[in-house]
Amino acid sequence: MNFNLQHLASRPSRREFLWQAGGGLGGIALAALLSDSGVLSAAGGDPLKLRADGGLHHAPKAKRVVQMFMAGAASHIDLFDFKPDLIKHDGKPSDFGEPVEAFQNGLGPWKKPVWEFKPYGQSGKLLSDTVAPLGAVVDNLAFVHNVVAKTGVHSQATYLQATGFQNPGFPGMGAWVSYGLGSLNENLPTFVVLPDHRGFASNGPKNWDAAFLPSQHAGTMIYPGTETPIADLFPNKRCKFITTAATAEALELMRRLNQDHAATREGDSRLESRIRSYELAAKMQLAAPEALDISKEPAHIMKLYGLDHGVTTFDQEINAIEETDYFSRKCLVARRMLERGVRFVQIWSGNDNGFPRRNWDSHEDIERDHGPLSMGMARGASALIQDLKQRGLLEDTIILWTTEFGRMPSTQGGKGRDHNPYCFTNWLSGGGIKGGITYGPSDQWGYKPLDRDHPTQVYDIHATILHLLGIDHTRLTVRHNGIDRRLTDVHGHVIHDLLA
Amino acid sequence: MTCIRKGMFGSILAAALICSVSSACSADDFFRVQVAPILERHCVSCHIGDDAKGNLSLETAATVKAGGDSGPPIVPGNVDDSTLLEMVSGDKPLMPKNAPPLSKAQVEILRRWIKEGAVWPDGVELVDRKFAGQTWWSLEKLTQPPVPKLAENAPQAKWVRNAIDAFIAQEHLKRGVEPAPEASRRTLIRRLSFDLTGMPPTPAEIESFLNDQDPRAYELLVDRLLESPRYGERWARHWLDVVHYGDTHGYDKDKPRPFAWPYRDYVIRALNSDKPYARFVQEQVAGDMLFPGTLDGIEALGFIAAGPWDFIGHAEVPESKTDGKIARHLDRDDMIGNTIGTFNSLTVQCAQCHNHKFDPIPQEDYYRLQAVFAALDRADKTFDADPAVSQQRLELQARQRKLNEQKKELDTKVAQLGGTELAELDKQIVAADRPDNSPLAAQFGYHSSIEPTPDKTKWVQIDLGQSAAIDAVEVVACHDNFNNIGAGFGFPISYKIELSDDPAFQTGVLAITDQTERQVPNPGVKPQHFPVGGKSGRYVRFTATKLAPRQNDHILALAELSVFDKAKRNLAVNGKVTSLDSIEAAPRWRMINLIDGYYYGMGQAARGTLADLRRRRDALLVANVDAETRQTLLENQQQLAEVAMAVARLPAPQIVYAGTVHTGSGSFAGTGANGGTPRPIHLLHRGDVKQPRQEVSPGALRAIKSLSADFDLPLGHREGDRRAMLANWLTSKENPLTWRSIVNRVWQYHFGRGIVETPADFGRMGSLPTHPELLDWLAVEFRDGGQSLKQLHRLIVTSATYRQASTAPRAKEFSLADADNRFLWRMNRRKLEAEAIRDATLLVSGHLNPQMYGPGFQDFVIEKPEHSPHYQYNLFNPEDPASHRRSIYRFIVRSQQQPFMTTLDCADPSQRVDKRNESLSSLQALTLLNNGFMVTMEKYFSESIEAEGSDLSVQVGKAFLRALGRLATPAELDASMAYAKTHGLSNYCRLLLNLNEFAFVD
Repeated sequence: MNFNLQHLASRPSRREFLWQAGGGLGGIALAALLSDSGVLSAAGGDPLKLRADGGLHHAPKAKRVVQMFMAGAASHIDLFDFKPDLIKHDGKPSDFGEPVEAFQNGLGPWKKPVWEFKPYGQSGKLLSDTVAPLGAVVDNLAFVHNVVAKTGVHSQATYLQATGFQNPGFPGMGAWVSYGLGSLNENLPTFVVLPDHRGFASNGPKNWDAAFLPSQHAGTMIYPGTETPIADLFPNKRCKFITTAATAEALELMRRLNQDHAATREGDSRLESRIRSYELAAKMQLAAPEALDISKEPAHIMKLYGLDHGVTTFDQEINAIEETDYFSRKCLVARRMLERGVRFVQIWSGNDNGFPRRNWDSHEDIERDHGPLSMGMARGASALIQDLKQRGLLEDTIILWTTEFGRMPSTQGGKGRDHNPYCFTNWLSGGGIKGGITYGPSDQWGYKPLDRDHPTQVYDIHATILHLLGIDHTRLTVRHNGIDRRLTDVHGHVIHDLLA
Repeated sequence: MTCIRKGMFGSILAAALICSVSSACSADDFFRVQVAPILERHCVSCHIGDDAKGNLSLETAATVKAGGDSGPPIVPGNVDDSTLLEMVSGDKPLMPKNAPPLSKAQVEILRRWIKEGAVWPDGVELVDRKFAGQTWWSLEKLTQPPVPKLAENAPQAKWVRNAIDAFIAQEHLKRGVEPAPEASRRTLIRRLSFDLTGMPPTPAEIESFLNDQDPRAYELLVDRLLESPRYGERWARHWLDVVHYGDTHGYDKDKPRPFAWPYRDYVIRALNSDKPYARFVQEQVAGDMLFPGTLDGIEALGFIAAGPWDFIGHAEVPESKTDGKIARHLDRDDMIGNTIGTFNSLTVQCAQCHNHKFDPIPQEDYYRLQAVFAALDRADKTFDADPAVSQQRLELQARQRKLNEQKKELDTKVAQLGGTELAELDKQIVAADRPDNSPLAAQFGYHSSIEPTPDKTKWVQIDLGQSAAIDAVEVVACHDNFNNIGAGFGFPISYKIELSDDPAFQTGVLAITDQTERQVPNPGVKPQHFPVGGKSGRYVRFTATKLAPRQNDHILALAELSVFDKAKRNLAVNGKVTSLDSIEAAPRWRMINLIDGYYYGMGQAARGTLADLRRRRDALLVANVDAETRQTLLENQQQLAEVAMAVARLPAPQIVYAGTVHTGSGSFAGTGANGGTPRPIHLLHRGDVKQPRQEVSPGALRAIKSLSADFDLPLGHREGDRRAMLANWLTSKENPLTWRSIVNRVWQYHFGRGIVETPADFGRMGSLPTHPELLDWLAVEFRDGGQSLKQLHRLIVTSATYRQASTAPRAKEFSLADADNRFLWRMNRRKLEAEAIRDATLLVSGHLNPQMYGPGFQDFVIEKPEHSPHYQYNLFNPEDPASHRRSIYRFIVRSQQQPFMTTLDCADPSQRVDKRNESLSSLQALTLLNNGFMVTMEKYFSESIEAEGSDLSVQVGKAFLRALGRLATPAELDASMAYAKTHGLSNYCRLLLNLNEFAFVD
């Protein structure tokens, strides 16, 4: 049965609504009380009804998404977007041919990429040495080198990439997907977030918030390997009076009392939904720990992810083994989640933009921060793609690598780079994406898109991903405060060149 | 003709008379009268300006001729090749987009016009008239409709209790439904208590109401609940949802906003005191202007600043940069969205980039509103709560100004009389008096770790690199105002200085000075000189044997340790410092500061003594300035000192985070330095700060025709005059939106749905009222009847409509036509909001801390406060009684929202929430079952029941009654007993608080 956990409130109510439309009562009222705007707003978008093929508006190419977010702004020119002119002019005064407004004071001389670039795969795509592990899967990746941000302020730019709007109050992409497509399983959340364990990026959980969508569409934070990987999954430790048996029998007695209560209040299916929610909660208590347990993963898988390093304590200084351990562990957990029907996984690398840097905001020293971070990221991401591929999951799982903006081709203080909101790189992989291609070049410096009139915007990336999931981005809307809101605001074009 | 610039409608009456009936009119007139209105009404709103759809503008003959992406739309005389006709005709015309097609007659007019040569008179420019001549219900003048009279024999006639019921009954009759029976008293008291106070009734309150024989028992209950201070706490939460109040800034870093709460307290006070609504609105927009000298008039301004604030975009990016401009633009956008959305239920923010697509709000009106707030920022505003103090401060400040003016005059006179000699002397005095502000001034020195007692031995030493002959050693103490210590900070009570070639000072140790048996008087910052007499050594060690007191603890700190050779060279400068321990907190404290050649006050000696300079100056004045002037000068000085003293004696001012003129430095400068002059506001093309167009004046919305929206303020007006004008415009009796909006909001919180289902949008994208006449009747009743919210509640909750049961005998039948219960043939069952669940849990557990007002309780631990605070809810101990206050007093974090409350659909403080989401999910079940707050309260719940004694069966019954407000049936009691016997009362209490019956109100 494709019963749907996260849509417990909305989906069954929709069904009941349809089922009751002939003779029952309260269907519409119920949906309204649940603020299930998609059902009700006749003028505000289509009613949500999945097609038999699992799409919402057309046949999907993919079912699942992994979004990797490099918080602090990863440098496209040091990782993915090779610029020989920067090597040629390294150290010469930078000249952008126009006045540039830097965020800080990052308009020093041109600075060549910190690492060497080498060709990989059949495509021969040049990758920096610091992301060399991605060479193994480069023919599965589609690079977009002309993505633009609207601002060089971390907070607004992070919101833009995560929610499609620059200010708070909008649902994250995963929340939209959860709202539009529902869950593929009944025991785990639909939208899971693996934050950097050292702290949140700019805006924190607002980046994966449900905002005006019902709260169950918010990303559920998971901290694998910690004492409480999911908040409130088990009784708070402070309380000693609760036993497993006490809970089990309480649930049973509650069900009986709740049913008696509902029997005298006919026509309010919320009461029935709430009874069901406690049953599903119990199932999640069983399913989640199993899904998070990587101890039984075989040695070759641990090796693939670089988790066979055997190191248990890490240096004070940022280092590649530690970063690999953290990022890869999240990737491995992500794979287990995807296998068990989680629809959307968001993996974060980098905490708030403080010090010492454990984020990509390398104003001071690209090599020091980007080196270990990108090595860990590349190892984990490459392993995840290979692992999904060997399990046949890559063909219907989309992977998006993104960050809030890029970094300048000129230096800040010699070793660092300032914000570059004018151009940066995304890459995509997996379900429905054409691998081994590069789309939308940047200019000779990686400063702005080569074709400034036709940059790629986050709306286009979002529209493309929704398209692959079987969603027309212009039709998945929710009316909120008088406006039919959608992930792509009033923008967005599907990038057909990226489609397989 | 004036219509050349202003469009076509209205000024063409003469031509209309000719053309409307006859086809024999001139081609020019035909265009003006027949063609232009069609284009202006149906086409131009999208096909206009630089960003016209399809790049086709229909504004002028030239733009039409130029065409768009698909070429020119019109080929004069050629009907077949004119794409315009193709677009608007046929079975499914492509244009107008998202709007009804043109009528056949309209298409025919266009066809004829093209056929006849598509004449476009010279100079005629079309404008957008999408809304011309249209009316919209919410913008119409507000008049009170008569209360419907029901036929005496109508079944509903007896049911009606007040005017509300008459309107409801009229619709019932129309729709063939009938009201549900009145709910039981037990149901009513639970419903009323949650509705008016946000908490359940206690068993005693229920008992007393059930047994009340007074025929007005219900009305008395309503009065009691409305008089309870809990009422303001409950309804303030609704208000704070709407205005998106929070206690942190949101965005990046999400820093705390420690003085937001006075606004929250203002709202609670205002509601409890039943402040007339107009005044409530006026205070929040312009209380400082309209009610100067009042506490409420200032604290209410927290409204303007209630929403999120982009700290980085303001504090790190100046207004001169694009990102800084965007941040400030968005900041004002939030202010006006909050103002118009809250009070007038219109979506004004849609007009930021273009004219509002659905409502008559031109883009210019949006920017006129931005101009109202253009001087403001969000910041802490200091003020005197006591009007008397405020008055005193104003008077003292006025006096200060006057004395300063006098001083200026006197100084000028004295300067003339004193001549160049005085000028030179003054320069020297200024130089000598200047505080030490060398770039090194922050580098205090070396600081040991901190000890609880003075008896610990600590050392710090210098390695000179090689053994050297030493002439003298000099040591200087620190200066730090910590704990008001100042000079001599950290200098030990007993110490010694030694020289050796052994870094461990085990062998060959030479004493330079030994003060270990003495208690040395603190030397201040005076250098302490010790001759060494040419003895040699590589290491110089300073050892403290009795540490300096600091603040209930003890330390060793030294500013400078110098080691001189015979040539007076300081060898220490190139040395290396080591120590037993050190607090390295650069730049102030670190070991290398000990040899950096800098210490506090080192330049003092060279500057000559200040006292001597002043004596010379006095003598000069006596010689050159007349006695009378000198006397006046003296008096002026004395008076200034007195005023300064008096100001210092006033009670410290209070603070509220508010919309205010900010005077800051660096990137976040505000407008204070310009005397609060509003920033110029330009209409931004496509909302883009890089494309400013004409400057706009402050004003309100012109969509309300009955009310002037132009402020016409004189040049040089104060910024607050703009807000005062807006406040008066909002609260005018002629503003129909204000009154409709508030009664609709109140109705919504009582019934779960507003008469207009979209409380934030009374425009075309919103819903239509289900009972428009009732809405207007209530709005006028409220507006003209004292604007008392409490009276409005009373009217609503005493209606028969409100008192219905939530189940109806003929529900199945009625729901066929009205499944939504829009016409209220029963009461809506309500799911409790997050706050109500939490507060009810506290009350039932016997652990509610009723403390009102003041800073919010924090149910998290802050980690890493210095950069981006981490709000760690999981580290908080839910047993902390400080957190057992009502949820309205919760410190509300925007980025990391409280997970328990958020899972239960509490309002997101980053957005204006006019109506909460209501969801059900397994995550909600998990949080109610397992969250630390819940399980802790369940433990307290059982303890408080057990404390009342008696056996388990009685306890189980009591717990059931307290949680659910009714007695358990025998069957329920049996099952409960069986459970509680096995698993204990705490687990049983956990079960009770997870029941559907606890979470819903009938």
